Parts: sequence; C-alpha cells; structure tokens
Amino acid sequence: MGLRKLAKRVLGVQRQPTYYLPWLTRPHLQCALVLSNVESRFKVGYNRGSFPVSVVQYDADGAVAGRHEVTLPDAVEAVELPLPSAPGGCGFATVSGERINSDLYVTLSDGLAYTATHGRGEFIERYALPGRLLLAMIGGLLGLAGRAIPAFVRHQYAYVGPDSRSHLLVMNLSNVTNRVRVVASWEGRVLGARLLRLPPMGSTLLDIGTFGSASGGTATEVWRLRLEGAAWFNLYVVGAGARNLEGPLSLMHVK
Amino acid sequence: MSNSVSALLSATFYEPGYDHLVELVHQRDPEARRRLASLDLSAYGPDGKLLLEHGLDTREETLDLGALLAPTAREHGRVMAVFDARYEEDAFPYRPHHYAYVHRAGSATPALYYAVSAALGGVPDRIGDMSRINNFDTYVFRRGPHAARYSVMLGNVGRFAPTEAQVFAYYGAERVEETVPLGPRAHAEVALAPERGGQPLTRVETKSLFRLAGYVAGRRDPSGDLVLFDHLFTFFK
Repeated sequence: MGLRKLAKRVLGVQRQPTYYLPWLTRPHLQCALVLSNVESRFKVGYNRGSFPVSVVQYDADGAVAGRHEVTLPDAVEAVELPLPSAPGGCGFATVSGERINSDLYVTLSDGLAYTATHGRGEFIERYALPGRLLLAMIGGLLGLAGRAIPAFVRHQYAYVGPDSRSHLLVMNLSNVTNRVRVVASWEGRVLGARLLRLPPMGSTLLDIGTFGSASGGTATEVWRLRLEGAAWFNLYVVGAGARNLEGPLSLMHVK
Repeated sequence: MSNSVSALLSATFYEPGYDHLVELVHQRDPEARRRLASLDLSAYGPDGKLLLEHGLDTREETLDLGALLAPTAREHGRVMAVFDARYEEDAFPYRPHHYAYVHRAGSATPALYYAVSAALGGVPDRIGDMSRINNFDTYVFRRGPHAARYSVMLGNVGRFAPTEAQVFAYYGAERVEETVPLGPRAHAEVALAPERGGQPLTRVETKSLFRLAGYVAGRRDPSGDLVLFDHLFTFFK
C-alpha cells in the first residue's frame, strides 16, 4: 500500500465524485452558468425527457450561498443560470444531475461580451472527525512557520505583462481547513510566498500582484508558482487585461 | 531515453498583434523531470503552405509564438502552428499538455488561457482506437445579444490527406450547414452568424473524416479582440 493510500485510510478520507465550476463576481461583471446535457443525446436510453439539475453555490468562506433547481427541457437545450454575488465575490458551484458529466460552462460578462470556460468532474474530499482534528493540529503548527502540509502539490505558470496578467482562483475541495502555501519565483529567484487559509469548501482570488510587479520590460514575464496543500484543492486561471481586476476577466480550467 | 516513445500532434493559430505564449509542458516540475523527448514546430498558411520549421529546445519552459511567427503572420495572415512532440509515457502517463496564454497587446480585453488542441496521438486508449469516433465536436453559446462575433477555426493537421469539415450552426430549431474543404495542413476560420430569423446562435457542431485541430473563437466588436478561444467537446469517448 502506498503512503498516500495509507494516509487516506488513517485520516478516513472519502472522495465524493463532484462536478464543479468556479464563479467570480465583480461590480462590473456578471457571472452565469450555462447548463446543458448535450452529452446525453448520444446515450441510448438516456436521451429523452427533461433533466433536473441541482446547483449549490459556495461562497469564499465555504458557506452555502444559494441553491438553484433547474430543469433542462431536453438533451440539447441550454439553460443560463445567473449567479448572484455572495460573500468574498468568488467560490465554486457544484452541479448534480443524472448523467451530467461535461459541457457545462461558467461565463463572465461585462454586458457586451463574455468569456467562458468549462467546469471539472472531480471529487470533494470528506475527512472523518479524527482526520479533521489531526490536520487542524498539524496544519496549525506548520502554519505558524508559514508552511503547509505538502500532501498535494501543483505547479502553475503565471503571466505578468505590461498590460495583462493571470491571477488564480484557488478552491478548497474538501471539508477541512486547507492551508495552501504558494511560492512564486522568476528566473530562479523567489519573489515571495503566501500561506492561504481556506475554510472547508472555501475559495480565494489570489492576486498575482501581491508577489511583486513585473521588472518593467515590454515582454510578458512567466512566473513559476508552486502550490502545496494538505487536502485536495484545485485552481482556475483568471485572466486580466489592461485594467487588471477592474476590467473584464476570463476564467480557465487547468489540468 | 526509452526506445519506445509516444507522439502528440497539437496545433494552434497565431495572429499578429497578440502576445501569445505556449507552455511546452504544462505543470512542469521545478526539477524538470517531466521533459519532452523532442518538440518541433512548423507553421502553415491558410492554403497549407509550409512557412516555417523550427526545432525547439525542450529545456525551455515556454515559447513566445509572436517572437517566432509575427513576421510570417504579418505577411501571410493567420498562421497554423503545429507542435510535433515525442515523449515517454513513463513521464506523461496521460499525455503532455501544452497550455497557452494569449492577449491582444494593449487591449482591455482579458488575457485568455487555453489548452492547445491535441489532434493526433497522445491518448492511446482514446484517439488511437479507430473504432471510436473522435471527430464530432460540439460547443454551446450564451444567448445574445452580445457585441461579439463567433467563429470556428479548423486546421487539417494531416500531412497528405485532404478532408472536408462540416460545420453546423444551430438557431432554435433551425440548422445551418457549411462544408469547408481543407487540404493537407490547410486551415480556415468559419464565421457563425450571431442570429438567424430572430433566433440567436446557440450551438455549433463540427464533423470531419478525421480529427482536426479546432477552436471556437469569439471576437469583441468592434475591435475584433479575442474574448473566447476554447476547444470544442468530443462526446464519443
């Protein structure tokens, strides 16, 4: 048995299959989901009738900000679901419905044009009480030193240019408080480190500008980000243009 | 290096005026253990004419497409950039991913981040299985009105075989079909009318004899800046 499997067993972790999409609202941006079940039309026996869909919107603190019940009239009709703003201005929404696995979109619109990306079919990690207590204790101690339990590690490039940049929306896909350490570096030099404390099911918009600014050249710089967290987390890239977070934004899934 | 390497052919489109950076390997670890065995880039005009060939240093992390292709694109217009990667499956059990960052220089439109379209190889249990259809793709749109124009960009990465792509746009119950001939390494942008008979564009599908490199593009009016550059969905898996 591998170390990861052993740790999962000791901590009592269950992985609950979940489809989720990020959401992000700003005063100048509307966020809406585009829900459909196009995939079902190719599944013989499952391509007729309407399809009920349940959406649960979690705010940045991980609290349920809203529940939405939607009915897709058939296998090809898409339904748009505007998401209201909620505390923190970002988070993720889970979508459940029989045989709904893909092709759901989240869109950000400034009223004139919209950007879009799709959600991900993954899982939420559910830790039993002893596991939650253990992670809270160890994570709290390491947090005092600005560290996190590196059970999950992701690498992501961030882009910082004279008139554009990429930020991150980091989502805690677990029911434990997840400390995620983010280290940014460029050309072998560490630019800075941040320790994010994400409540269960919570999220945060990580402004890349908090690690520093571009060196002032005309070329877009490519920074390395290393993220390590105690429990399962994922991220979406948030693209910005010349007006940075005050302008229109894009979201993009990553593997 | 193993004597058994896998292959992945991916393609994107470069237009002048864009800051366009491609990650040679997405999520490379700092120790660079996840490295491609080789990576070659070739660029083609809309008629499939070879415009440039370039071997890439796999120790590099990202490629500035503009630095390489801007002069060519200024002369020939939109260019299809084809990435021919060799890799070991031990290092990439699924396949390597090329992600990319694109932004019109000076524009307030947001930067976009996207997965470079993988057209051939890469997933032996899916694309390599010829009994499964992987050349039927779909994309759904928000209902307008939006100050944006939509299109699909299609590229034939086949070296020798011409093909025809069928593009179906849906407006309510109405379906509009367009057939696009594509010679070897040729590419085209197929405009999609935003509405028809008062019905907004809701969905597009593409079909072809074999898998094409494909993207849905959205351009803000009147600037034409890209606000959408995304892959379509394949449902037969």
